[in-house]
Amino acid sequence: MGDVMGPDLISDLPQSIIESILMKIPIRDAVRTSILSSKWRYKWSSITQLVFDDKCAPFSCDREVVGRSVAKFITRVLFLHQGPIHKFQITNSKLQSCPEIDQWILYLSRNDIKELVMELGDGEFFRIPSSLFNCRKLRRLELSRCELDPPLCFKGFMCLRSLGLHQVLISPDAVESLISKCPLLESLSVSYFDNLALTIRAPNLKHLYLEGEFKDIYLEDAPFLVEISIAMYMTDDIAEHFEQSSNCNFVKFLGGVPNLEKLVGLIYFTKYLSIGIDSVHLPIMYNNLETIELYQVNFEDTKEILVILHLITSSPNLKELQISGSSNIAVAADFPDLDFWEKECLSDTTLNKLKTVKLSEMGGWPHEIEFMKYLLGRSPVLETLNIIPCVFDMENNLRMLMELVKCRRASTQAEVVFYRE
Amino acid sequence: MKSYIWLQTADGSIQQVEEEAAMFCPMICQEVLQTGMGSSKAYAISLPQRVNPAILGLILDYCRFHQVQGRSNKERKTFDEKFIRMDTKKLCELTSAADSLQLKPLVDLTSRALARIIEGKTPEEIRETFHLPDDLTEEEKLEPLRNITDDPRIRLLNRLYARKRKELKERKKLKDVEVEEEPKDERSVEDLLSFINGADGDTKETRANKNKKKNRRRKDHAKDLSQNANENDKELNPLTSAYHNGNFDNASASQHSMMQNLPAVNFSPKFEFIDGDMDDDLDPAMKEELDREVEDFARRLNSDWPERMQILSLGQDRRLVPISMNSSGSTHMYTSMFFILS
Repeated sequence: MGDVMGPDLISDLPQSIIESILMKIPIRDAVRTSILSSKWRYKWSSITQLVFDDKCAPFSCDREVVGRSVAKFITRVLFLHQGPIHKFQITNSKLQSCPEIDQWILYLSRNDIKELVMELGDGEFFRIPSSLFNCRKLRRLELSRCELDPPLCFKGFMCLRSLGLHQVLISPDAVESLISKCPLLESLSVSYFDNLALTIRAPNLKHLYLEGEFKDIYLEDAPFLVEISIAMYMTDDIAEHFEQSSNCNFVKFLGGVPNLEKLVGLIYFTKYLSIGIDSVHLPIMYNNLETIELYQVNFEDTKEILVILHLITSSPNLKELQISGSSNIAVAADFPDLDFWEKECLSDTTLNKLKTVKLSEMGGWPHEIEFMKYLLGRSPVLETLNIIPCVFDMENNLRMLMELVKCRRASTQAEVVFYRE
Repeated sequence: MKSYIWLQTADGSIQQVEEEAAMFCPMICQEVLQTGMGSSKAYAISLPQRVNPAILGLILDYCRFHQVQGRSNKERKTFDEKFIRMDTKKLCELTSAADSLQLKPLVDLTSRALARIIEGKTPEEIRETFHLPDDLTEEEKLEPLRNITDDPRIRLLNRLYARKRKELKERKKLKDVEVEEEPKDERSVEDLLSFINGADGDTKETRANKNKKKNRRRKDHAKDLSQNANENDKELNPLTSAYHNGNFDNASASQHSMMQNLPAVNFSPKFEFIDGDMDDDLDPAMKEELDREVEDFARRLNSDWPERMQILSLGQDRRLVPISMNSSGSTHMYTSMFFILS
């Protein structure tokens, strides 16, 4: 019925291209294309990716209304959709838990779902239906704030490469079992679990990201790990557990990961590794470890310093080191155990590849200064040592600077950069 | 000595192109390797029909830039952004041509550009940009149905639920404030040890809360089943009302189809969400009052239904047709319209 303005430019492109275009625009716009012309009526309905994010709901202050509207929209889209759905993502902050979720997941389990991401509104928990465990082709699963209860007969997701569980209510046994039943798992991210003692058996795992209140982490079978990032929070229970533990956590955690390339540890991670460290002979060398980042390290605890020293001396190819001190040490111990450093200086190891070092939250305390001297004296190719003090206290910082100026440097190119506030 | 490849476009013209640039296109590369064509003018490789000389020129510009190894990602990105600036017609031709030459990076680039053009535009604007014929009838486009929440009674019911939920949330917020807090704790171990025998762990309490929540949900399931059955059916009706659009004139259809109870669609109601977060400490009087109000409304709405059912069955001569996955173009599919514009 329209006047001829020129030939149709786009409708005759191959369906695969049209679909890839439609998957690059918000889902509401994609569905709207069905009223463009008769050719466009069903072009959207076979797209294999459905992403419902915050853009798909009309703006409104009433969260309830918006939530219901989004739920209805999702149901309608699913009903009108044809063909396989490879990716289904809900990350809408207004959507609330609703009965339709069961039906959506059931529908997806029958349509070759490969990637599933479910994150409802803030504070909303929902229950994952059992039909999720029938999604045989699942390659990526990201769940937030839900209750997950794998059936006893569940044999695992045979194709799963990436698993993310954030604030998920699931029993510890079920988590471990789920992880170990996914033979191809390469990337695992688990966060905000309470008091979990986690044993990881994942023969193909490459990337590990953990954050939460962990009592124990045991990497029993994960020899191909390449990247680890751990943030361990503390509770009274966990502190007690640490006190009573007779394990050697360094070995339990890092004893079986020879291919490690990057290690990031936050909050109480170094504390965790320091338990039982006295009795350790370095288990293995980390020949691929090039980056180490450790935060909230307590330099008053020589055991934690020992953890760092063990790590860096076991990593002959270490290039980048970032250490952040613990900024709430108000006053250092009156008699720091400087003998500790005498013992360490007996060994001859040099850090032959270390190029960049960044030390932040430095209070200028004796152990910190000794550590800086240690690094400067053993790093023949060091290029930059960045020091960021935590408190701009003239006295402490002056002391730090004086010591640094005095100490011997193994690298002629080393630049020591001191940051003022 | 530079080597060249001979290419022939659909209009018959033949050009000579530097080998590295041409081989960047998988289709050309494949032809050369498998058939040995392209080495001379007589044996020029025939390019697919969608590639005309002008577009070929553009594609080769793209290939010439990107086939150079040493370029940084930033350089490539800058080039792409400048390269993609052209009128829509050319962009579409380029997409089509790149696809036929299997040059995936260029197809991605052009698709993204086209997506940016489409996004946010009204249907009229899109039609104008791409010269699409406006050939759907008004019926086919369909007026949006009156949104189900326009019915004043249902709105009131929703408001009651919202109020009740808010009430529960306030209570829960007060109780669970420890859970929400950032658990980061930087006290030294000595400090913590001194607290250990004192206050009981936070974690124990929050875990208890969650368990309580879970248990309550299961208990309330049975109780709420009957009460909520009708409300949920109404909410699910929009799905079914779509099917009847074409058969009634819109005014009556929207009124009645909303109320119709649909036997063919089978939903097993799970009510974990509605009263699932009931807290033990909710003021019992308040709870009772709200429960009563909700039940009242449910009853009133129920009583209307038998009459509406009658009116509906008189006008209806079309049964519900189940959606089939691979069908195309049958009348039951034009339901997609009704929610787009709402």
